Amino acid sequence: MEFLGSAMNELCFTQESNRRGRLGRRKVEYDDTREYKSKNLHAERRRRQKLSDRLLALRSMVPIITNMNKATIIEDAITYIQELQQNVKLLSDQLLEMEGSSEEAVQTRSDEINAAEEMKNCGIMEDVQVTNIDRNKLWIKIILEKKRGRFTRLIEAMTYLGLELTDTNVATSKGAMLVSSCVEGSYGDTLTVEQTKDLLLEIIKSI
Amino acid sequence: MYEETGCFDPNSMVEGPDGLSQVLKPPPPPVPLMAGSTTNSHNSFEDNIKLSAEELSYHHCNPHQEVDASAAMDIQLQNQQMAFNTHLMQDSSNQVLAFASSSLADASYTPTADLLNLFHLPRCSASSLLPNSSISFTNPTHTTPLGLVGDLPMTDTASASSILYDPLFHLNLPPQPPLFRELFQSLPSHGYSLSGSRDSSLFGGGGDDHVEGSGGGGLYQDGDGEQQFDNGVLEFTWDMACMGKGRKSGKITKHFATERQRRQHLTDKYQALRDLVPNPTKNDRASVVGDAINYIKELLRNVNELKILVERKRCARERRKRLKTEEDSIGNNVHESSSIMKPLGDPDQSFNNGSLRSSWLQRKSKDTEVDVRIVDDEVTIKLVQRKKINCLLIVSKVLDELQLDLHHVAGGHIGDYYSFLFNTKIYEGSSVYASAIANKLIEVVDRHYASTPSSGCY
Repeated sequence: MEFLGSAMNELCFTQESNRRGRLGRRKVEYDDTREYKSKNLHAERRRRQKLSDRLLALRSMVPIITNMNKATIIEDAITYIQELQQNVKLLSDQLLEMEGSSEEAVQTRSDEINAAEEMKNCGIMEDVQVTNIDRNKLWIKIILEKKRGRFTRLIEAMTYLGLELTDTNVATSKGAMLVSSCVEGSYGDTLTVEQTKDLLLEIIKSI
Repeated sequence: MYEETGCFDPNSMVEGPDGLSQVLKPPPPPVPLMAGSTTNSHNSFEDNIKLSAEELSYHHCNPHQEVDASAAMDIQLQNQQMAFNTHLMQDSSNQVLAFASSSLADASYTPTADLLNLFHLPRCSASSLLPNSSISFTNPTHTTPLGLVGDLPMTDTASASSILYDPLFHLNLPPQPPLFRELFQSLPSHGYSLSGSRDSSLFGGGGDDHVEGSGGGGLYQDGDGEQQFDNGVLEFTWDMACMGKGRKSGKITKHFATERQRRQHLTDKYQALRDLVPNPTKNDRASVVGDAINYIKELLRNVNELKILVERKRCARERRKRLKTEEDSIGNNVHESSSIMKPLGDPDQSFNNGSLRSSWLQRKSKDTEVDVRIVDDEVTIKLVQRKKINCLLIVSKVLDELQLDLHHVAGGHIGDYYSFLFNTKIYEGSSVYASAIANKLIEVVDRHYASTPSSGCY
């Protein structure tokens, strides 16, 4: 019985290994070298499988295929990519050429007018709030009317005056822009709440 | 050492056109190694002497110059290479290239033909007798789309090429192949250009059936097989890769003589693919292919986006023109045109609205990563910057320039990075597209970083 059992086991092993193909028809001896070899084989097979899958995917994307062997897949892909690059260049040049005629200047003014009106309608006022968070950090909250390029000017002014924004959050709604940010002094100096608030109010008035 | 063959007399001389010809010591007549450039007469006689000395070492019949050839040879070959390079640059003739390389090859042993042979006739060479060469003539450059472009100009290097590859193949000298590869890499030819430059025709020579020896993998010959050899016998052997190209069919059938050549050819193609992709990550084959797949998808998205934009612009322009003419005509003729105006306006609108513009791409540079996503007129930009530069100001300036209306910004200093997320809207009428945004951003941020080397100060 035992004998039979072990024979059956061997059979199963070999069958299994045949299926998996790892050990072939060799006897099942799991000494170290063989196991490493089989692991490596397995890994290698997986690697090959991965490459082959990707090649298949590549082939499926390229419309013009000549032969179906590995080398020509790559070749065709190269040709196709170059063709697409040329297309992109062509189209973008065309677009650039067409840029000449511009008619969009009219649009923006209307946006700005709407913004101011909306703010007034919702009762939002321009505002500045400053509080002290840490020794060196301040937290500011600014509400201002959204105008084209205003945010840039705000940031510019702030950085020139020594306020560095470390974490910023900007949201816009109903024609108003809300800027909340952590501010530190860029030159290492500590800022007081009052100073900063005055500074910011000045800035807002000027931009 | 190779076996002397009966095919040629190692002592016969070839007068190269000029100084690159290497001269054997008398009494044997000078060996013709270079049918090379015409400007090399000044090219040191010393070189010739040295080379000839080396050659002698390969000659059985010249025992009296026992030179330690191999090391010297390598150096000499490299020197020759340099010389060749300069000369090759000067001379745009393909023949020169061919001859130069052939002569370089010949440095290791002496071929025999006389000048006439070099130019026109394929030689029956010792190669026919020697076993498989391990030298593979790889593509001189990485970018090898050449093989795909079937239209290499047929040149008169056909004859040259026949001789070009002839000497090499029975050399199994290991140091040689890299040198030759280097030589060809440094050749200005860069044999593979879509325009099929003259230089590329070095490798594009004779496509005749018997002119087969176009050497290693990666050399494609043009199929205009009209170039015949006068004494058409070129006994290239089975150990040379024969590249017979389908005559003007645009297809190339490659038959590699050695497995190694085939492998090299394949590696070069992978390298070419890697070079096309903008941000190659890992250098293994699977990831190259993966990158290529993603890049193709990105290119397709870009093309679609651009097409939509161009279409929109065109429609807008036409509509404007139509409106203008209608306005003009209204002034003259009130009733007729006003009825036409409205229905004409609509089809344009519907066309535009039907196609939703969407695109997405990522760009990376050394310190910056940009991810731009566009859906219709909303643009979402994610920016990660690895150095400690507060780029908020810079970026918002750029966004203003690009006519993007900031709706929402979030971000700041996170560990070693600055990271921002911008939600913007495109102002009406602007036709900015994803890759333009991404490229501009990266360029500006990198420039800003370059100009403020010290970190963190702003």
